[in-house]
Amino acid sequence: MILDVVGAVLLGLGLLLATVGLYGLLRIPDIFQQLHPAGLITGPAVIVVLLASVATGSGKIISSAVLVLLFVLITSPLSTHAIAQAARRRPRRDRDAAGRSR
Amino acid sequence: MPAIVLDIAAGWATLLLFGGGLLLLRAPDTLHRVLALDILVAIVIMLLTILSYLRGVSYYIDAALALALLALTSTLVAARYVTRGGPF
Repeated sequence: MILDVVGAVLLGLGLLLATVGLYGLLRIPDIFQQLHPAGLITGPAVIVVLLASVATGSGKIISSAVLVLLFVLITSPLSTHAIAQAARRRPRRDRDAAGRSR
Repeated sequence: MPAIVLDIAAGWATLLLFGGGLLLLRAPDTLHRVLALDILVAIVIMLLTILSYLRGVSYYIDAALALALLALTSTLVAARYVTRGGPF
């Protein structure tokens, strides 16, 4: 019973975080500022949804979810950093074209 | 968990997928598209996880792990492609 409530709350929190991040992504035009809500979706939202696996009570599901969680913890900052670095290093004309097309 | 909660969560995640598609359609240049595809993969990972809870089997989460690995590789290569004009 308590596990059911915890799982439902964690699922709702994760999906709420993803919704807030998606709204931010749709509102913000600049790529550097877009990386902030993008990190909210690829990091905490996915992690909280994976943490809701404790409510299933199945060992297989929980161990697989923990593996994905560790992987996401490592790779989410990596991909965000790669996109930021590419945005900073790309040629000047691409950056200007992206800046004007709001 | 009760099935109704998982049904609502799956529907919500599917709606988020439409939002990610809108983000992809509105992207003005290549890096925005790379970012939008990254977001779409994160949402699909959440959807596969919820599907795994719903069916009570674990192998959908393994598919999510493979998808996360593919997303990392493709994002790194596409970001490098934008910077240097080639993947290497």
